[in-house]
Amino acid sequence: MSGDLLMQSLVSGLAIGCVYGLIGIGFCVIYNASGIVNFAQGAFVMLGGMLTHVGLKTWHLPYWAAALFAVVAVAVLGVVLERIVVRPLWRRKAPVFVMILATLAAQIVIERLTFLLVDDQPKTLPVFTDLPPLKLGAVALSYQTLWIVAGSLAIVAGLAVFFKSTLTGKAMRACAIDREAALLQAIPVSRMLALAFALSAALGAVAGILLTPTQYTAFNVGVPFAISGFIAAIIGGFGRPFGAFLGGLMLGVVQSVAILSLGSGLKSAAALSVLLVFLFFRPAGIFGVAK
Amino acid sequence: MTQGSRSEPILEVRGLAASYGHVEALSPTDLRLDRGELVAILGPNGAGKSTLLRSIVGLTKTRGEVLCEGEPLPRGDPVAVAARGIVLVPEGRGIFGPMTVMENLRLGAYRVRNGGEVARRYERVFDLFPRLKERLHQPAGSMSGGEQQMVAVGRAMMADPKVLLLDEPSLGLAPRVTVEILETLRRLNAEGLSVVLVEQKAPLALELARRVHLLSLGRTVAVIDPREVKTHDELARYYFA
Repeated sequence: MSGDLLMQSLVSGLAIGCVYGLIGIGFCVIYNASGIVNFAQGAFVMLGGMLTHVGLKTWHLPYWAAALFAVVAVAVLGVVLERIVVRPLWRRKAPVFVMILATLAAQIVIERLTFLLVDDQPKTLPVFTDLPPLKLGAVALSYQTLWIVAGSLAIVAGLAVFFKSTLTGKAMRACAIDREAALLQAIPVSRMLALAFALSAALGAVAGILLTPTQYTAFNVGVPFAISGFIAAIIGGFGRPFGAFLGGLMLGVVQSVAILSLGSGLKSAAALSVLLVFLFFRPAGIFGVAK
Repeated sequence: MTQGSRSEPILEVRGLAASYGHVEALSPTDLRLDRGELVAILGPNGAGKSTLLRSIVGLTKTRGEVLCEGEPLPRGDPVAVAARGIVLVPEGRGIFGPMTVMENLRLGAYRVRNGGEVARRYERVFDLFPRLKERLHQPAGSMSGGEQQMVAVGRAMMADPKVLLLDEPSLGLAPRVTVEILETLRRLNAEGLSVVLVEQKAPLALELARRVHLLSLGRTVAVIDPREVKTHDELARYYFA
């Protein structure tokens, strides 16, 4: 295989890896706040692209306004999900396993509602910057790829500042470390949980909006994204947002190299193999200490 | 001193009871804490001391009521209780280990957004525990047990509490460090802070407290004035009664 082809495939792997990373961060943020693995994460990604499409094509909003609407609407949906699905189970002290299944049920409900309210046709979004790709030697770098990478890095940097430097971010970390101690400091733990869902949902939506111009979105694209984000989070050591982002990059690269060398049919096999390798040999992730 | 509320106890517990499932962990208990007083709760393991403190702040399901300055505290809502200035330093300290000392302290004053006020409270904590000032950027979990307890008490003081509840601050600490922490507690109390202290180490508690509640098997078996306890045998009688 030629070096250029490999470089090209690394570039696209890193771009999709950024998206997996953002989804993986979404898993971590909710997991840290609640101990729940939220499988409705994929629905947020799907709705990000889908609602932007609706805003753009049905309501004729400017692109940026449609995207902003989608992010805000999905964040609100995240809070609604927390209120009507997670919190009642939480109050009843339901086992975590039940809550995880409930989020999977929510994923299916959102997926089917989208199918009924929109349709089953794949949709795409225009690229953000409509210029011919940059040429670096024989490697083509599309502007959308740059948007994906730059947007993801900006979000990761923003999150780092949020968790490190703001009082609300510190309070969210405190809730993840010791919920009871956080309560004793008069930190409104239940509001932090709602905020975690809003933040994760918004992350998922942004991932969906960044990615849809290079692929397509449809009512049923959520689950594969959720699985990729989940694998990214496992690689990073579940609950470590920045580990999840690196995990996403790693997964993206492994997948695109697998497509190049083994054929696109084995893309999912490669992803799941990475998952199994980590579960068997390094269950606590790249940075984790084995339990 | 003319206000009527001055004579009102700062904390009053009436018939507070708690159970875990069908097991009663705390039988209906009364407790009164006057402004500026230090009350100690003594008793053997499993006597319900921690349960009493956890029930006061609403961490356990309870019956009965708790009043602060004559006003009932909400039940089952630890955030609201903490916001009213009733602050518990729990058993095992509950510090945020991976976070720095400074972050831990800052979260103690979570509800305060005024930078000047937060700075004033930091200074007060550094005055109480000068050692914390040198370790501000160290992860709290990497410090010694005694220093972690200082972080826990310092974090509680950041809330500028009306009532400080301490659950076995000496647990697992070397005697010298224990004395250091209890001395700070004595100072805070002398400056007017109202304190409820749970201790296993009876002599320490007897020395500090104005009144001592003895708990055994989930009930109060005696309320004593430490000045009247002349020998440890007398105390032991209560323990094993």
